[in-house]
Amino acid sequence: MPRAWTRTCVACWAHRARESTAVNHPLAREIEADAANRLGLEGIEYIEYRSARPQALGHVLELMGFRPVARHRSREVLLYRQGTMNAIVNAHGATDGEPPALAAIALRVRDAAAAHRRVLELGGWDVPVQVAPMELHIPAIHGVGASRLYFVDRWREFSIYDVDFVPIPGTDPRPPALAGLHWFGLVQRVGAGRSADWVAFYGELLGFGVMGEDREAGVLPQGIVLRSPDGGLHLQLVEPDTPHGLAGAGADGDHEHFERVALGAPDVPAAAAALRARGVRFVETGHLAVQPRGALTQSWLDGVMFELIHHEPPA
Amino acid sequence: MYIRDFGMDTITLAGPLAAKLRAMREAGFSQVMLAARDLVGHPDGWRAAVAEVRASGLRVTGFQVLRDFEGLGGHLHDYKVDMAKAMIEMAAALGSRVLLACSSTSQHASDDPAHIARDLRKLAMLALPHGIRVAFEALSWGRHLNELPQAWDVVRRADCPNLGVCVDSYHVFATGTPLEALEAVDPARIFLVQLSDFMWNEVRTPEERMATARTFRVFPGEGVHSAQLARLVTLLDRMGWRGDFSFEVFNDDYQQLPQERVAARARRAALWLAEDVLRRSTPLPSQLRARVAAAPSA
Repeated sequence: MPRAWTRTCVACWAHRARESTAVNHPLAREIEADAANRLGLEGIEYIEYRSARPQALGHVLELMGFRPVARHRSREVLLYRQGTMNAIVNAHGATDGEPPALAAIALRVRDAAAAHRRVLELGGWDVPVQVAPMELHIPAIHGVGASRLYFVDRWREFSIYDVDFVPIPGTDPRPPALAGLHWFGLVQRVGAGRSADWVAFYGELLGFGVMGEDREAGVLPQGIVLRSPDGGLHLQLVEPDTPHGLAGAGADGDHEHFERVALGAPDVPAAAAALRARGVRFVETGHLAVQPRGALTQSWLDGVMFELIHHEPPA
Repeated sequence: MYIRDFGMDTITLAGPLAAKLRAMREAGFSQVMLAARDLVGHPDGWRAAVAEVRASGLRVTGFQVLRDFEGLGGHLHDYKVDMAKAMIEMAAALGSRVLLACSSTSQHASDDPAHIARDLRKLAMLALPHGIRVAFEALSWGRHLNELPQAWDVVRRADCPNLGVCVDSYHVFATGTPLEALEAVDPARIFLVQLSDFMWNEVRTPEERMATARTFRVFPGEGVHSAQLARLVTLLDRMGWRGDFSFEVFNDDYQQLPQERVAARARRAALWLAEDVLRRSTPLPSQLRARVAAAPSA
């Protein structure tokens, strides 16, 4: 696929996204916002890792300020938490020898069943239900690579973890966030010339829009940044450094997947200092060095790393 | 010889998949257009067929064909979505980047362009996570869409980056679509070009078009529209299309010839188009040597 076309097309989608917000009347803006957020997205309920080495990955999460708070009733799954962030480490079905993978994002929505129905109607792939008796059925569609996108609507009156998880005795069920850390988003690797496709995917199914030049950039500002209509999730799409030409995505040349998590921090140097004190090392060379706009941690377990991005927590 | 941009279609050859792939490779082709039947009809099952294709070293031009998808409602639509998903999974397993979908012939299909565009957009969304682009083709006997400009119109209306059109010379000539109409198509949204010719000057009715299309197409250079075909290919080249060109030649006679005889005819067609029409040529070894010698030393 000619790369020039892809660029034009992405620019075109970005332009449309900006146009769609160019409304002046307050009521019109509200209607516009509702129309853009048809699913009633309200941030991330949890992010799930799959790993055959759950304890090693759990140790990394603990270095990053998470605490284990609950175990799944029927599977080898652990819930970690800090502040508003829930991270799940799932060893169920993980393959030995494979590095940990970002396996799922659970999105908070107004009505999970309605959201699921709508994305299937638009062309999402349903994930078949596999739950044990008395466990929650959380509807999902397939995302990039082997990942899944879940839809959760029970977080106000009670938590999904109350049903499927058992608290770990003696732990604080709500450990505070380290240095104001909160979910910012994920970096998604895409095949050469595939950014426009994924912009269309997230735009069509979930109402995400392309951010302009004023986006929070971090230390690795390449690619395109998408933002959910509620502002609670950012996805940075990054194509290969060396284009593979026609042997792009879907072919063997490129492996499309979620690569790393980005955490928002109101004060990046302060957050980096707090994490260093816990034993986390940061990339310190050149433009990747810790700076007020962002930072990048060391890599653990064949590729698990975290990015810090200057971002205020949502109100 | 420069036939890298041209490929054969398995539907042209008789025999088992392995023999077809071998004949294509031995005729000098490096790519192949596959049909779902090649996979599911394999005696050892479709996954064995996928392994055979991958082992052949031939690149997959595309995978065909999803029929009668657009314009349906209710349970018919749901049924077709299931069919589409199965096709997409097979295409993905093959490493194919293109799925061919052709315009509906169903009397149950709506002619509402908004409905058709909505369905095509959904099809593109289904294919998208798999890295597959959908090439939509106007069959010359399609019920509501039977000419390339109509296909382009609904593709443009659906507006999805992995949805484009397939240009098929047979259908363009069968409906007498002026080649100038092609110039209205964004070349970046042409995802596949299929080439063939036929022996009649005209095919007036949908029935005639269907019968000729399914039994008596011939390779480029063998029919009566060679001048038009050369113009079509030259026009595409001028628009920036560099390939792939796939020979989609359904022909009952070729079905009873040895594969290598038919592949030789395909090779002759590719050479005609590459060398005489497009004037593409491989750099000679001496030219390559000269270029290397002229390159500045590090």
